[in-house]
Amino acid sequence: MDNSQLCRPWEHQITRRRLLGTAAGAALGATGLGGLLQPTVAEDLKKKQKQVLFIWIDGGMSQLESWDPKPNTQFGGPFRAIPTSVPGMHVSELLPRSAKIMHHLAVVRSLCTQDNSHSAGVGRIQRGDPKNRGVVYPYFGSAIANLIGPGDSGLPPYVWIKPGSGGFKHQDAGFLGPKYGALAFGDGKPPENLLRHESISEEDFADRQRLRAAASQRYAEHRRKKNTEAHSYVFDVAQTLMERKELFDTENISPRDRERYGEHEIGRHMLLGRMMLEAGVTFVKVNSYGWDTHGDNFNGHASLMPKFDRAFSAIVEDLAERGMLDNVLVIAMSEFGRTPRINGHVGRDHWPEAWSLAMTGCGINRGITVGATNDKGTFVSTDEFDIGHMFHTWFRALGIDSKKTEYDNSGQPLPIAHDDCHAISELLA
Amino acid sequence: MTSSREKPFGFAALIMAVAVCAVTRADESLHQRIDKLIEEKADGLVNPLATDAEFLRRVYLDLAGRIPKADEASQFFDDEAADKRFVLIDKLLAGDEYPRRMRELFHVMLLERRGSQDEWTKFLQSSFESNKAWDQMVGEMLNPNAADEVTRGAAYFYTSRLEKYGQNPTDYPGLVRDVGRLFLGVDVQCAQCHDHLFIEDYKQVDYQGLFAFLGTAMIRRDVQFPAVSEKPLKKKVEFMSVFDMQQLDTGPRLPFSTAIEVPEFKAGEEYLTPPDKKTRAPGVLKFSPLKILAEQLPREENDGFKNNIVNRLWWVTMGRGLVDPLDLHSSENPPSHPELLQLLADEFAAHQFDIKWLLRELALSKTYQRSGLLPDGESEQPAAMTFRVALERPLSAEQILRSTLLATGELERVVARKKPAEESEEPVDPTFDEIQEQFLSALANPPREPEIEFSPTVKASLFLSNDDVVLSWLQPRDGNLVDRLSKLDNANAIADELYLTVLTRKPTADERSEAVNYISSKGERRAAAIGNLVWALLTSTEFSVNH
Repeated sequence: MDNSQLCRPWEHQITRRRLLGTAAGAALGATGLGGLLQPTVAEDLKKKQKQVLFIWIDGGMSQLESWDPKPNTQFGGPFRAIPTSVPGMHVSELLPRSAKIMHHLAVVRSLCTQDNSHSAGVGRIQRGDPKNRGVVYPYFGSAIANLIGPGDSGLPPYVWIKPGSGGFKHQDAGFLGPKYGALAFGDGKPPENLLRHESISEEDFADRQRLRAAASQRYAEHRRKKNTEAHSYVFDVAQTLMERKELFDTENISPRDRERYGEHEIGRHMLLGRMMLEAGVTFVKVNSYGWDTHGDNFNGHASLMPKFDRAFSAIVEDLAERGMLDNVLVIAMSEFGRTPRINGHVGRDHWPEAWSLAMTGCGINRGITVGATNDKGTFVSTDEFDIGHMFHTWFRALGIDSKKTEYDNSGQPLPIAHDDCHAISELLA
Repeated sequence: MTSSREKPFGFAALIMAVAVCAVTRADESLHQRIDKLIEEKADGLVNPLATDAEFLRRVYLDLAGRIPKADEASQFFDDEAADKRFVLIDKLLAGDEYPRRMRELFHVMLLERRGSQDEWTKFLQSSFESNKAWDQMVGEMLNPNAADEVTRGAAYFYTSRLEKYGQNPTDYPGLVRDVGRLFLGVDVQCAQCHDHLFIEDYKQVDYQGLFAFLGTAMIRRDVQFPAVSEKPLKKKVEFMSVFDMQQLDTGPRLPFSTAIEVPEFKAGEEYLTPPDKKTRAPGVLKFSPLKILAEQLPREENDGFKNNIVNRLWWVTMGRGLVDPLDLHSSENPPSHPELLQLLADEFAAHQFDIKWLLRELALSKTYQRSGLLPDGESEQPAAMTFRVALERPLSAEQILRSTLLATGELERVVARKKPAEESEEPVDPTFDEIQEQFLSALANPPREPEIEFSPTVKASLFLSNDDVVLSWLQPRDGNLVDRLSKLDNANAIADELYLTVLTRKPTADERSEAVNYISSKGERRAAAIGNLVWALLTSTEFSVNH
């Protein structure tokens, strides 16, 4: 759609990244390579178009019923451990399909984070819990939307597939500003009013949008730009989605894929997530709710885990088969794990002290576990890793130097991950 | 000019006037003192006053909830009287639309899109029609009187929050949080399980004490209107910090004050009138925490109560709270202008919590009437908290709907529509209420998300771009804007009328020629071209915010 009068936000984005590259390059100037090196990296990034699949298991998946089983111990619970495709490595029997693709995965068993409440924990983990500098940090999706940008797909860089309501969740963006927020597809459905009205010709529609953009741009000339940018951006995204409505066409999905991913919510949403990645969306978050098993933890996980297992293993297999794992970073995690101690309601409570996550894809070593907990699974027995370490690792895996790259918050330089943490070298390929 | 409470000017009013003089310098009105305090701290030149066009649109949206009509705008622009802004503000405050605008504003602020309810609407509407004092309104919400047909809808503040949603248990923590946030300006939710981690002032007992007032409230199921009853509160609320596991307790207690004793009654003696098991009518308690809450919270002596409401009305008119965020009053988050907040709070109390009076003073201030354009020679906007430049503010879905209908010339037609008495096979045009539902669903925030800042959405863009009903307003039909404009011969006149009607101003030379050229480029398709122009202005950022 011709919208030439108004720059698209991602045009600024690419310019900004080049600027960042140049600024970082200047620091290397003494070596004589600076001016060349950085733009090349930027070009490289663009060529390969790194992407992220972020699977958010809201409420807290139990590490003991998933990646870090402790069968036949005091807190181990009723489930067995089973061998995986990686010799010597075991996971809970609730993950039979993931066990078969373990050679693709890297599991971290030594997470130790700071917050045991959902309300604060979800934000804290997804923001990477950086040092407090009096600003609201972006969620990981908004961070990636800003640092990598939308690529050439024309689609918004940060898409969130979730149960419940959809909409544009600008709050995720924090100080980066509303345009880096998440476009949420509620219940994986296409947005309402996606089709151009029959009474409006394609030409009239284009005229309307062009005239609107021009009017808004004139208005913004002598004012704060933020509101107009955010406003124009949502109209741009709306138009892109109208042009790409086939993205939501689930009619043509093969019965085999439906079966492999599962007909349940997380299965359907994960499949839509694959379609979004294939279409070129930079950051796709797939959300599953209902994991806060304070009561009846074992029946709860017996019902939830197989759904996750099916959907997760299917998408990893598909990404591997399509050669996409080299460019797509995949992460599956919660805001914390669950207590080893089993409470009076046969449940497990919140436990940030020692828990696990799984990942794979671009820049990540595969078929490994990192860190360990003690025999009872109560605490980490190796080096503890906070979410800050994970953020450094993920940025590095995506080709972003997490120690040098900074955000520019209206002139205030801000690190993109916690200053005192570092990338975990065992995880990086 | 004066609020209804000050009339007639009798002895009581005289006493009051003397009391007012005690806190006001006799020679200066509040709006002048506001401007002084803002200018003293401006740290740079303050903007000149806004043009008539900018002021007119702003004040209509704030006090009438809609943009001005084209003829209202022309009249105002032609008026040469020096005091015309002053006169207009009083006219709008006295007008029929003021109570409706206030009803919509407070509905969004207090209910945060939890839905609407006829009795609640009636409570708000009648309160603003009679310019009821804010302390009285809050009292009616905190201890609703089911026997008073006019005010009983106030209970919806409670019942909408006590209603379960999904499979969640009754959200008492949410109710406690909202009473704190909306009436006291403090969000104590994070102090539920331990003293607040980041805000020194907020202690666990501040949450638990407020909870002691509210934790026994229940929805009454024996009546059809919103109403609450209370279970007897028999002992103090016990709690313990998840950190040190020390057992603590408190009776009902307003944040940062002292607890009240919980009297002990023998079992069965808690009631003056016991509940009626047959009719399920609740009894009358000897000790009613809600009654005490309604007596203790909305009081002049309660700084939190006063500061919260004046800060919110400041935010409504100026675009940013003196304390920001609005629900984070604490010593670590001081107001940008402490003296001003104090002044507003004291004066508001001295004027019997008269919202209309305060809004009038705010609107009369230069601070309110300043231009929103970047100051000459400055390329960066000054910090919002200096109030040197008028700030943009979001419009509610209600304001956008009414303004859109007015601009397109469809308001009267839509408002006049009635729901057909009988189901018919024929498709019928939607009524105003039905259209409003659609606008709320597309433009308003989801339930429980405060509408504080401009937050455009893809959903709203798709709605405005493709919705059947919205697009129908841009088709020419008898007497609507597109119809009237397409009958004008002169393209310049079309552009002038278009900008006046939609954006309440004249077009610039560039804008006029853009419109003229566009219309002529479409030749025979004149009405369609005009429809496209109207749509573009209606969805521009300029139309979508209050500036």
